[in-house]
This record gives sequence, structure tokens and C-alpha cells, in this order.
Amino acid sequence: MYFEITRKELTNPLKAVVSTIESKQTLPILANVLVEVENNTLRLTGTDAEVEINCTVPLEASIGSDNDGAITVPAKKFFDIVRALPDGAHIQFNQEDENRVVIKSGKSRFSLSCLPAEDYPSSPEINSTLSFNLMHRALKDLLAQTQYAMATNDVRYYLNGVCFDFLEDKLAVVATDGHRLALATEAFDLAGKETMQVIVPRKAIIELSRMLENSDDSLEISMDANHIKIVLSDRLTLASKLIDGSFPDYWGVLPVNPNRIVTTQTGELKQALTRTSILSNEKFKGIRFALSLNNMVITSRNPEQEEAEENLMVEYNGEEMEIGFNVTYLLDALSVMTTKEVTLHFIDTNSSLLITPKDLEDVKMVIMPMRL
Amino acid sequence: MPYAIRNSHIQHLPTLVANQIAAGEVVERPASVVKELLENSLDAGATEVEIEIEKGGINLIRVRDNGCGIRVNELALALNRHTTSKIKCIEDLESLSSLGFRGEALASIAAVARLTLISHFHEANTGYTLQINDIQEMSEPVPIASPVGTCIEVHELFYNTPARRRFLRTPQTEFNHIQETVKKLALSCFNVGFSLKHNRKVLTSLPPATTESLQQQRIAKLCGQEFLEHTLDVHEDREALQLHGWISMPTYSRSQANMQYFFLNGRFIRDKLINHAVRQAYRDVLYRDRHACYVLYLTLDPKLVDVNVHPTKHEVRFAESEQVHHFIVATLQRHLATTMPKTEENTQPQSIVATEPEKITKNTESTLPSLTYHIQPKPTRSAVQETLQTYQTLAAPNSSKITVPQVSNAFESEKTENFTEKITVPQVSNAFESEKTENFTEAIMPPLGYALGQLLGIYILAENKKGLVLVDMHAAHERITYEQLKVVWQTKKNNDVQQLLVPETLSLNDQEIATAKQYETFFKRLGFKFDFSDKKHLLILEVPNVLQKTNIGTLVQDVLADLIYLGVSDRIEEQILTKLASIACHRSVRANHQLNLAEMNNLLRQMEHTERSNQCNHGRPTWIQLTQKELDALFMRGK
Repeated sequence: MYFEITRKELTNPLKAVVSTIESKQTLPILANVLVEVENNTLRLTGTDAEVEINCTVPLEASIGSDNDGAITVPAKKFFDIVRALPDGAHIQFNQEDENRVVIKSGKSRFSLSCLPAEDYPSSPEINSTLSFNLMHRALKDLLAQTQYAMATNDVRYYLNGVCFDFLEDKLAVVATDGHRLALATEAFDLAGKETMQVIVPRKAIIELSRMLENSDDSLEISMDANHIKIVLSDRLTLASKLIDGSFPDYWGVLPVNPNRIVTTQTGELKQALTRTSILSNEKFKGIRFALSLNNMVITSRNPEQEEAEENLMVEYNGEEMEIGFNVTYLLDALSVMTTKEVTLHFIDTNSSLLITPKDLEDVKMVIMPMRL
Repeated sequence: MPYAIRNSHIQHLPTLVANQIAAGEVVERPASVVKELLENSLDAGATEVEIEIEKGGINLIRVRDNGCGIRVNELALALNRHTTSKIKCIEDLESLSSLGFRGEALASIAAVARLTLISHFHEANTGYTLQINDIQEMSEPVPIASPVGTCIEVHELFYNTPARRRFLRTPQTEFNHIQETVKKLALSCFNVGFSLKHNRKVLTSLPPATTESLQQQRIAKLCGQEFLEHTLDVHEDREALQLHGWISMPTYSRSQANMQYFFLNGRFIRDKLINHAVRQAYRDVLYRDRHACYVLYLTLDPKLVDVNVHPTKHEVRFAESEQVHHFIVATLQRHLATTMPKTEENTQPQSIVATEPEKITKNTESTLPSLTYHIQPKPTRSAVQETLQTYQTLAAPNSSKITVPQVSNAFESEKTENFTEKITVPQVSNAFESEKTENFTEAIMPPLGYALGQLLGIYILAENKKGLVLVDMHAAHERITYEQLKVVWQTKKNNDVQQLLVPETLSLNDQEIATAKQYETFFKRLGFKFDFSDKKHLLILEVPNVLQKTNIGTLVQDVLADLIYLGVSDRIEEQILTKLASIACHRSVRANHQLNLAEMNNLLRQMEHTERSNQCNHGRPTWIQLTQKELDALFMRGK
């Protein structure tokens, strides 16, 4: 197998692919990247046996079909070599024998060990039960507004990801770690197909949101019961296993008829919370809201008995009340709010808080209170 | 069902067979015989007991006492099953003061060995002897010359139960068990003298120990001098409960839980509730899987405890187990809290807590210390040199440079300030002016003395009255921070609680659900809220904030298991304390953190004020003393 390519053309595709590969591996081949050449096209594939990223690059120089082939090489080393080469470098990739690949560029020469391509985990076959198109920008926004609430290494494995719920008239994207929840919806026409709910694992979500662009380009999603495949462009594809489990009933945890409504400037509230959090318990981050007519007081106190107090002008005409929260959860939610003003919907001291952008229904953040 | 059983009739077992079966429970090995006989002697009011063993007790066990003896007409009766003088009716069991009461020891022994009984009743003129022969027939009592008291000889144990005999170990092993038995009884009865012979050699001889020093001698003989040197005296007297004895300092521990002696009303017991209580008390001071050593005596109203659980009486049941558990934990914890640097070898907790802080304040204010330094920089590593240089500039007479240490959360910043002001007027003079040094040390030297410098970025060197003190800076600071966090946590009435958006669901069995319900207030106090609406599942609605990111489900399940098994559980507190300990660890100064003298001295003073500061959160020692004597020995001075 042989091909030639410029450093510039190779760097970005390789970077995208290598990011899925864990450098510490018990199975050596999983630390490798799959390199294939066919019909003057280079195809790079990286996987951690759960998430797979696949990228193709057209090759300029016609090298003839007798140079086609497939091989795997150590991903991290290959990428580091390519990255360290000078800007305009021209790279020659040549498989010398069964277990040796030589990379040449100008006066540099690298010889890498390799493993046969047949042993590389094959991409999942998807018997698509549902497939549709979506804009890059739309998916990017949906994920940005929800992914922060995913759990990390929770024993309730179904929380370690983001749930995509395909409903008849909309797509709901939702994540929760059991303490707070983030929900974003997008109008969507299922066109008579069966509704479907899937949970995409954390790692795939993180890779995906890194690869999404802020553009109106269309991407294609297809899935079956166990896999999801997202074709980001004609060159870039991400496929992932799905988490096998049922996501909690998130509609059920949304507060019903909250009657104490506070409207305030997003930025101001965020800044006040950031300042207050300095003097909350550095590990457990409790702060307290006290609501009165058009006024909100945010206080915190740490074990050293130091105190912070912030007064905030808000729109509020409900009864006076006090409630405590983990300030990190509030800040996480506010950070992804895109509107200038937000609305906080309270019920009472022991019930969850709903945060929404003002006058918008498609983003909902729910946070459980803390008793301080 | 085998044919033979299907066709056999129900009938009474012959007495011998019944006795042999019963003996299986009581007489397990020679040591059990010794235990039963010794308990009889002690119940008879003996003040001297002689035990003679031959071939590990397999050939001969002879126990001779000077107790009240047995009346001649009762000799034969004593060997029958269910005959005893210790109780008369079942009510007596409730206020039992003797060790035995079941009335089956002698009968059981007689069923599996050849037994000779010699007894001289204290009101009679002469002693009598009686034997049981092979076919379990008793001879008539024959007069014999004997001192007042009883002597029982057990020959050829298990001669008629070959199965048991096969399971006996080597004579030496069996003798070791006997020795352990004697040890337990000797620890419980200080007023009785014991002597133990094996193969005609006296191995242990313990005179009656009536005074405290004699008692300590006995402890040293039985548990080792080293144990005695590393113990804390425990003495706690409440109306219903009294606990006294000795417990090991956390830095003196064993890899096996074999030096643990707990006596309940004079009876040795091995009880899971007690074990749990002791482990809990030693929770954050013991190194890894080490075990504490203790000799403890608990006295309580016999009515509140049931010893009739098992024939060997090692297990007991408490009427108010939770209260007993709490009492033991609280008492031991209070005594363990005193493991901090002290001026005198005073282990009475009350006096320490009350006087120590005052003493130190007064001292620092009353005298101007004239620190004597002996600087002979002999740097082997650059780090040391640097430290010494810093130190030299700091110790220079124009001490205005020294700033008040900014140790966060200092005890009382005022005091610290006073202290540093005073300490920063040292006269740098040559060492070996021993007179001056001594004056100075006697007058005001705090237990850990004053810092000399930092070694390898890890240790603080300090000088006190006895010599050199080496402090592991991180370990010490870790303990100080941890204790402060603990105080904050404990003074807070309720844990901060995080409500859950998605409740954690546990599938539990009926017993576990019932237990969770029963202990609902216990869980609530710690910050848990449950929902019982589902019969098979427990929903956790609220969790203590500290325990975020821990596996709550497993924790609750473990706690329920504890509650079912023991009736108490400290797992939640344990988890919380572990969390606090890890916070403390991250907040503490690390190796290679350069400290100036004032900071080091402040750390030493904080250690003197912090409970349990002799060991870090993980049970490692925080400081050691190298006395002048030890140092002299290294240099062969004065030899």
C-alpha cells in the first residue's frame, strides 16, 4: 500500500479521527488508526469500540489501483509525526512489509510498526429504522443547551449520555444527572414514522459537538435500536453504539404550573451568582435565594462564617420565599442561555426550579433545590 | 430414607450417650475443660488456683483451688447433669453473679474422660475423694488427706470418643489454647493467684494483684510490657454502666485482632456489637487494616444482659444494645481524642482538655524565650542549605522581618500573634550552654518545643525538653484540617440536603424495606428521605449534599444490612468522614512547601491543641521524638 499527501490535507482529518482513540489500551489494535486507500481516496478510521469516526480525503496524485490497501498504525504516534512536520511538507506513506510502515517527508524518515487491517473492529451495520436530515447549526444548539447536564460515570448508566426523543411533531434532546435536567426541543416532522427514543453515550456527544459546525449545511442521521450514525459531510461520519436503557420520564419532572415567576437579566444574574459563589462552601456550593416584591437577594456562607450578599432588581410580584441551590447547577444552566432575559419559575422551597429563556418554550432547565 | 431408620423405634438415649452428645458442645478441646474447671474454682471463692497440665492436657489436667469445697454427701451429685449450687430458680439467672450456672460442666467432662474429684469442704474435718471409672460408675467417697478446697483431675480426655481425639492438635497447640484460657481468666480476676504448670514445669505464676501496680505487672506479664507502655487508661463511670481498662494507642496496633479482651461483668466475651463499637471508636486513627489491642471491663446490671445464649457463654445479648454500643464508642473516642502532644505523661482526658490551653497561653506570655541555636550547616542537599539560609536570616536579631504566619483558620489569631512576637527575639548563641538551655526549656517549653528548620521539604525539626522532635508536616497539617472540618460538620445540626430530580430506585426485600421504615428518623437525621409507596422498591428522594458523587444506592443497602444484623450502623458517618478526610488532604500543605519558622511553630502549637494529632487521618504517626539519650547512643557519648 502506498500514497502521497500534503501535511495540510492530512492534519485535520487525522486529528478528528484520532480523538476517539484512547491512548491507554489493553487491546493494542484499539490504539491504532485504520488507514485505507481505494479509488484514489484515503479513508481514516478511529474507534474505541463504542464510538467510531471515519473521514475520507481524496488523493491528488494518481497512484494506480495496485497501490490500494489497508493497514493500521499507532494513532498517537502517526498523528504526532504528521503534526510535527513543517507546514508545506509532502508525505509519502509506504507499507514495506507485513509489519512495517515507512513515512517519508523531505529528509525525515519514520518507520512505524503496524497491525493487519482485518483485525480492526469493523463498523456497525445499521439497518436504519429511522433516518432524517438536520442542519448542523440546529443540532449544535440542541447539544450545547443540554450536554452539560449529562452524568459522568453514574451507576445509572442510562444517565451517562444525552437522550434524543423523536416525537411526532418535535425532536426533544434531554440530559440529566439526577440533580438537574436540561431539555431543548426543535420542531421536527416525523412524517408518520414510529416515534423513537435513543440515548447517545457521553463520549459520542462530546466528539459530535466538537465536529459540528455553525452552518446551515445539512447532516444525515440514521439509526436502529443499537446504533446511531451521523454523516456530517460527505467526508466525515460518526457512528456510535447506543446506551441500552430507558431514560427517566423527563416530562414528569418538569414543574407543573409554577406560580412564582421571576424575570431577570441573564448576565446580571450570572455575575451576581459568580460573586456569591466565592463565599459558598468551596466543595458543596450552596447559595440561597430570598424573593420579595421585585427583589431577589442571593446569599452564601462558608464554614469559616464568611458571607456574601447580592441584591438584584427583578420582576416579581409573588409571595416572599426562600430557597437554596447548588450554585454550580445554576451557573451551568445560565451559561448556555442565549437570550438576554431569563425566567425563573418557582413553586415553593421544596420544589424544583424551572429556568427558561424569556418568552421561549423550547429550552427548559430544571434544578432541584438544596436544603441548607 | 434409609431402611434402618424407617424401621427403628423411638426410644430414650442411654444417659452416657446423651452426656457425650452434650459434652460435644461444652468440651471441645482440653482448653474447654480448663475453662470449666477454673470457672468452678473462681465461683467457689478461691484465691489461689494451681493448674497442672501434662501433654497439652490430653494426658492430665489437674486444677486445685482453695475455695469452699464440696460437702461429702454432694460429691456424687455434683457429677450429675443439671446439678449446681449457683442458681436455684430461673429468676436467679437474671441477677447472675457466678460464671457458671448450667450445671453440666462436670457431667460433660466425666462423660468423655476419667475423672477424679478430691474435695475438702471448708466446714468439714477431712477431705474425700471420688472416682468415675470406665463404665461410668462412681466409686464411694473415700476419706483422704487434703487441704480445704477442691482438686479435680481429668485423665485421658476423649478416651471414649475417638472422633474427638482425632481432631486434637499437637500437645503444644492444645497447651497454647489452655494458656490463652488461663490468660483470659487471669485478666478477669486480679484478686486470684494463678499458677500454670506444663509437664511439671511452672510456666506462669501470677500472685494475687490487689494494688494497681500489681495489676499492671500482671497485664505486662500476660500481654507484654510493650502493650502496657502504649496504652491509655480508660475509666468511665455512669450510673448504669461502667467501663474501665486499657486500650492501645493508635500507633501501637497489631495485624491480627488477637489481643482483644473484653470482659462483661467479669466474664470474657466475644461479641460482634462490642467489636463493632471498638472499631468505630478507632475509625480514623488506625492505620489501614490494623487492629487495636485492649483489655476492657464493662460492668452493668446483670438484669440487662442475657448470657444464656450459648453453652460456652462467649456470646451475650444486651437489653439495650444501642445504648451499650454508644457508651463504648463515646468513651473510647473521648480517650483516644487525648492522643496529642502533651507536656506530662498524663492520660486523663479531663485534665488535659481543661488545663492545656491555659498553660500554654500563660507560658508564652510569662517568659521571654532565649532560643539557643546550634547551626553547623553541613549541607548535603541544596534544599537543606536553602532552608537553613532562610532560617538564618529569619533568626537574625532584627526579627522585624518575620511576619505573622497566615495560616488560615488559626486557632486564635491573637494568641498566635503574641506568641510570634515573643519568639522572634531570640539570642542567637552557641549551643552546649546546657544550663541555659535547661532553664529555658523547663520554664516554658511546650510539648513539641520550637522549630529548628525544615528537612527535605517534608519534615519539621524541632527541639523540646527531651531532645529532637521530627514532625511529618503534611500528616500533621492534614489531621489539624480534618479535625477542624469535623468540628464544623458536627456542630451543624442538619446535613445540607440535595433533593433528587430523578430518585434513586433500590429494589429491596421485605425485611430491608421494613428496616428502612423502622429507622426512617435515623436516616432523616443524616439527610436521607425515602418514599415507600412501592412495596418492592425504595425510592431515595433526598441525599446529604456531602455524599454527592458517591454510590448512594450501595451505601443505603449496606447500612440496612448493618441495621438488620447489628441494630446500629455508622457507615454514613464513615462515608462523610472519608469525604472530609479527602478534602482535608487536599487542603493541607504538601511536601516541598517551604515554611518559615513562625509558620512551623504555629503548626506545632496547633498540633498541641488538636485532638488525635499524634496520628494522621490514616493512622500514621505525625511526629516522633528522638531523646537526647537516643541521640547520645548514636554517637557513643557517655559510654
